[in-house]
Amino acid sequence: MNLIYNWMYYISSGGLILIGMYIVLVKTNLIKIIIGLHFIDTGINILLICIGYVKGRTAPIFSTSGINPTNVVDPVPQALVLTAIVIGVAVLALALSIAIKVYEHNKTLNVSKIKRLKW
Amino acid sequence: MVNPSLLIGLPLAFAFSIPLFGLVSKRIGKYIPIVTLLINVVISFMLIPQILKNPIVVSIGGWSPPFCINLVVGPLGIFLATLISGIGFLVSIYAVSYIKEEPTEKYHILFLLLMVGAIGIVLTGDIFNLFVFFEILCISSYALVAYYKDKEGTEAAMKYLIQGSVGSSFILIGVALLYGFFGTLNMADIASRITSANPTYLFVTLAFLITGFGIEAAIFPLNAWLPDAHSSAPSSISAILSGIAIKTGVYGVARMVYTMFNANSILLFIAFLGLLTLLIGEMCAFRQDDIKRLLAYSSIGQIGLITFALGIATSLGVFASLFQIVSHTLAKALLFLAAGYMIYRVGSKSIASLSGLGKKMPLTSFAFTIGSFSLIGLPPFAGFVSKLSIVYAAIQVKKPIFLAFIAIALIATIIEAGYFFKIVQNLYFKKGKNLDKITETSGYILIPIIILAILIIAIGVHPQFITGLLKESAKELLERAGYVGWVLGGT
Repeated sequence: MNLIYNWMYYISSGGLILIGMYIVLVKTNLIKIIIGLHFIDTGINILLICIGYVKGRTAPIFSTSGINPTNVVDPVPQALVLTAIVIGVAVLALALSIAIKVYEHNKTLNVSKIKRLKW
Repeated sequence: MVNPSLLIGLPLAFAFSIPLFGLVSKRIGKYIPIVTLLINVVISFMLIPQILKNPIVVSIGGWSPPFCINLVVGPLGIFLATLISGIGFLVSIYAVSYIKEEPTEKYHILFLLLMVGAIGIVLTGDIFNLFVFFEILCISSYALVAYYKDKEGTEAAMKYLIQGSVGSSFILIGVALLYGFFGTLNMADIASRITSANPTYLFVTLAFLITGFGIEAAIFPLNAWLPDAHSSAPSSISAILSGIAIKTGVYGVARMVYTMFNANSILLFIAFLGLLTLLIGEMCAFRQDDIKRLLAYSSIGQIGLITFALGIATSLGVFASLFQIVSHTLAKALLFLAAGYMIYRVGSKSIASLSGLGKKMPLTSFAFTIGSFSLIGLPPFAGFVSKLSIVYAAIQVKKPIFLAFIAIALIATIIEAGYFFKIVQNLYFKKGKNLDKITETSGYILIPIIILAILIIAIGVHPQFITGLLKESAKELLERAGYVGWVLGGT
């Protein structure tokens, strides 16, 4: 029990990444695949956050009184996650807009039926 | 002294100013990439002599490395940045009259962003920045592949997007794991402390990073997106993707393996993967009848050759690999540009429909022939020198396994010669149908094609133009202590 308690965030981030991988590899619906890609993104964001997390410490906002470098978590991963979220949203938006075009041309979202291009 | 960050800043600023210029006149937009990238080429040529003497490290925000985001402009960085800006400049001239379909403004914005991403990747010294620039490159190339919004383009872009974003996620996992252990994102800082980590942990991290960059570089098991994306994109974009985008993936792999991880033990595996990529690419290319698909598969093959040479890991091997990057970039850009206009004139992508074009479009066909002969490795073109150095490097290692490898690589070259000779024969010695109305390529289109052909011959006849820079670049990859010293100072 203690093991799960200590490593909960790592386990959940790994789980999210694996679920995302599974969706991308197995599902045939294009929208589901895109959702799977976003699962991977979210999992990585949680991984980054929990790498910078130190137990019992608070957010590094120095304008609040009583906050000094000894009682805050590492701020760098949080900055990274902000960037990664923005990138993730951009990819998601582009993916969905291309998916609309794919649907217009093929009248289906089933990727196993969209096979005009192959070896 | 010119600040190297202009190489990234200028295209970025101009990319977003294109709509503003569009308010003045709709026609200015398409000339902005030409001007921007011309300035970039001039700046990078001005920087080369300085950097060969003394590499420049630009620290941002007034902190000293490793606490700041920094650009490390060494010989390798400036060599690739020059190559990228140069090819981008030529392709943007081509795009002025090639891209007619609206919205052309968006095309030019995305094109400049792709350039920003590619130049940023090769110049940055911070691994998270590398990821961000990588994403800029990837997102703009997904959008550009789907630029025509037709059936093939959207399908190819969708495939590229799915595989590409899984790849970038892998890179981000690698970055997260590195930060988790070292607590720093500076590549030189990580490189100097890499020995302190647990080898298994490092292996997992390196595997994530190589898989991520391998998808962009289209190394064999990860290459499924490339033939679709490169053949469905507009031809100018195919030239950029084949010439530049996949090379940044190779750069990523090289930087990780050599500079950061010093992973000499996996180099043989990388050479083997390269060889496999080479064989698969060339064999698939041989049976294509769509010319752009053929060129795309041939790109996979050439990437295999570059990766193979990278895996030889002597200074000559890395030098040969970089030389192959130059010759492949020039030749493949030329081939895609020339083929793009032939397709535009003929109206079909099949090789059979190109028959007899040698008489109707003499200059374009001749340039195409030069490009394909250079890729095969015939003298006196650039490809000959680079392939010769790869063979020489592989023999010089004096290990039987590399002799076997290079023998297989030469067999792949024969396959390559087979299909390129087939196209050239089609162009010149077969009678075509319905060719009456076809005329020579006009104006703007011809300039980059001819410049590229001249460059291929010039480098082939007189390789000393670039060998000095390439040797320094190879040294940068192989001597990690030097790289760490530039950034952190004196360690």
